[in-house]
Amino acid sequence: MVSNAPGSSTRHNVSTGHNLAGPNLAGMAVALTGITKRFGAFVANDGIDLAVRRGEIHAIIGENGAGKTTLMNILFGLLQPDEGSIRLNDEETDVADPAVAIKAGLGMVHQHFKLVPSLSVADNVFLGMEIRRHGLIDHAAQIARTRELSERFGLRVDPTERVGLLSVGIEQRIEILKVLVRGARTIILDEPTAVLTPQESRELFQTLRSFVAEGMTVIFISHHLEEVMEVSDTVTVLRNGKRVATRPTAELTKDELVRMMVGREVSFDRRPREPQRGEVVLEVEELWARDDRRLPALRDVNFTVRSGEVVGIAGVAGNGQTELAEVLSGLRPASHGVARLKGRNLAAFSPAEIRAAGLAHVPGDRMARGVDRNASIAANMLMGRQHRAPWSRGGVLNWNVIGQNASKLIKDFDIRAQGSSDAVKRLSGGNIQKVVLAREFTNGADFLLIDQPTRGVDIGAQEAIHDEIMRQRAAGRAILLISVQLDELAALADRILVMFNGRIMGEVAGDDADEDRIGMMMAGVAAPEFAAETA
Amino acid sequence: MEILDKLVNVALIAATLRTTAPILLVALGGSFTTKAGIFNIGLEGQMLAGAFFAVLGSIWTGSAFAGVACGVAAALVFALVFAVLVVSFRANEVVVGLALNILAGGMTISLMKAIFGTRGSIVGQGIVGLPKVQLPGARAVLGSWAPLISGFTPIVYVAFIAVPLLVLFYNRTRLGLYIRVVGEKPEAAEALGISITRVRYTASLLCGLLAGLAGAHLSLGYITMFTENMSSGRGFMAVAILIFSNGDPLKVLAGCLLFGFADAFSLRLQTFGYPSYLVLTVPYVVALTALFALSYRARPKIIKETLALMQKLLSADRNTEPGGKHPS
Repeated sequence: MVSNAPGSSTRHNVSTGHNLAGPNLAGMAVALTGITKRFGAFVANDGIDLAVRRGEIHAIIGENGAGKTTLMNILFGLLQPDEGSIRLNDEETDVADPAVAIKAGLGMVHQHFKLVPSLSVADNVFLGMEIRRHGLIDHAAQIARTRELSERFGLRVDPTERVGLLSVGIEQRIEILKVLVRGARTIILDEPTAVLTPQESRELFQTLRSFVAEGMTVIFISHHLEEVMEVSDTVTVLRNGKRVATRPTAELTKDELVRMMVGREVSFDRRPREPQRGEVVLEVEELWARDDRRLPALRDVNFTVRSGEVVGIAGVAGNGQTELAEVLSGLRPASHGVARLKGRNLAAFSPAEIRAAGLAHVPGDRMARGVDRNASIAANMLMGRQHRAPWSRGGVLNWNVIGQNASKLIKDFDIRAQGSSDAVKRLSGGNIQKVVLAREFTNGADFLLIDQPTRGVDIGAQEAIHDEIMRQRAAGRAILLISVQLDELAALADRILVMFNGRIMGEVAGDDADEDRIGMMMAGVAAPEFAAETA
Repeated sequence: MEILDKLVNVALIAATLRTTAPILLVALGGSFTTKAGIFNIGLEGQMLAGAFFAVLGSIWTGSAFAGVACGVAAALVFALVFAVLVVSFRANEVVVGLALNILAGGMTISLMKAIFGTRGSIVGQGIVGLPKVQLPGARAVLGSWAPLISGFTPIVYVAFIAVPLLVLFYNRTRLGLYIRVVGEKPEAAEALGISITRVRYTASLLCGLLAGLAGAHLSLGYITMFTENMSSGRGFMAVAILIFSNGDPLKVLAGCLLFGFADAFSLRLQTFGYPSYLVLTVPYVVALTALFALSYRARPKIIKETLALMQKLLSADRNTEPGGKHPS
């Protein structure tokens, strides 16, 4: 895919990457050369070059799994690269652990905050480097210093408040203050706006600009186009572990950026199909829901799924897909609106009742919600039907039947295992997913909710899983397929709905899936015909 | 009124302070481990070991303070074993704590048999009790109220002075802060390079120190003797107080005073001729009632959620017959 990188100008950048030696690197706050990092057979970073000028805001953009966070963890010493070298402030540095990075003036604000709820803001900021007088912690001095920094950079916090009472946005400011207090001159922020309200994001950008005004450097990871265009001086685009391009933001349009992010050549190997138009199985009307932070995650979602139809949900991960799946399976309450399965409102039912009423669910996080990794294949295939004949009678399980059924499913779904008594944890990711599919697809449910069916699954198993989904479609099941992989959706879906920020940005027919249009909608740019709807 | 006067007077309050001291010390010791995120059910055993070896030490050396040092050393050994198993080897803290409690109980009995050839208790044998501290001028200033501050053994003063010291420790010292962080958010401690292992060892040993003092107070304080299982559940009561106070020194003090008062009150009741087995239950009944009342108030959310869940289940049964139908 990457060999088809867009535009010759970007190709030029890629090819000069390895030659960034010598004078070109002078004045760079950070220079990474040829960074490669493998996790088993998976290459997370593949020969990436990155040069960040002192005093700039450098955005690193790419889809989930593009290798952004891995690259930053390598820069900060949390991971060690397999190949490549790192220069910090014009000095070749072996960043063996974060202490080395901090000493060299780097600071990282992670996605997950590590603050102590019962301590005050100032105590958290100075934790690990307390100001002391006569051996006792000098709270007054810590508060004063925190206040001074927070005013200087527009990071509004009350240093005396307890952290446990504060919002996520303020927690992030505290994490930034922690980094500042430790003397960072180059600040790395990993998806900082993911947890922020739009208002808080704007304030954060002000703060970032004030850093640069003082000669500091900012590296900013994101997958949101708009904010990258708004705040950054330079953009580096990563895709599938490789660097696609590094360009000044001013020279770029959103359109170009999307194309570089999503990639031009998605392999659309579309599955042949008979057109079918069955009755409506799932109806979703004006559905709203909140995420775990109580922020809106679904905003006015409307769609239907008919029997014999695969409806795809596209979108960059974290735009409400998880919450949608959870609401439909009864794991999360809707805050407004209804979802009806065969005419019945799901809100009144427990997850077990929804399943009994005709839902099969292939969860996105298969290890957490799909299987019990320590149990046998047979036990995993039994789950959810253990109260019913022929699997049990009078409250006693019939392991003969259970074992025979499991052996049959292992053959039918081509699961590579020793036998039905094998523990699930000994299987490969693809085979574990097939165990889940085998259980869910043989439940006789009319509606299949399939979330990321091929995540972490090898190519061979991917094909088999796709075949099975198409068989289910032919059998007249109504299928909702949630995936972050565009090619998967383009291959399987009859219609593709694109989600962004909890909304459906628009719909594309599977037959003429246009990756540009989908990509634009995935990045939050409304297609013209949907502009009115999202305004 | 006359009876009340007889029951509640200066002597009762002084007795309350005396009976509070050992449980306060052991609970303050447990405060270190609680704050560091270790559920230390082994307080009872550390205290018992402290009591026994304090007696032993005082007989061997003829000095009460050397006896106290012996008691503390024994409790520290128990605390160290606890820390090695729980912190380094990650054994289950309840299992290890219980095992050490049983070990302390059995060990003191068999050592008593081996050294003194008796069962039940060690009395006399040259045990030297702790001296009582008469504060000069107390009687002149406070008159008949003097027993409230004067005439206790040194360990009682240590126990009460420890309360404000611990407040200061947790709020103003680096170690105190780190103990809290390790208990509350270990991943934050780790991210900042604070050694969780080292902090937890330190907390365990500080706990052993105070538990040993508490034990020594039991056997060398007001009665100079050792009896089998003489800690008689004080360590467990301390654990209960720790759970409800979350290890905050001031709340620990309040809980211990309540228990100490009930203890002293029951002793007083005994002199009025009530059946002793009933009277002896008073402190436990009072403490349990108070703790239950506290927990009931502190956890309305859980109770509310339970009620809501039950309501939902009941109404779901009635309203959603079709969904409840399981195809077979």
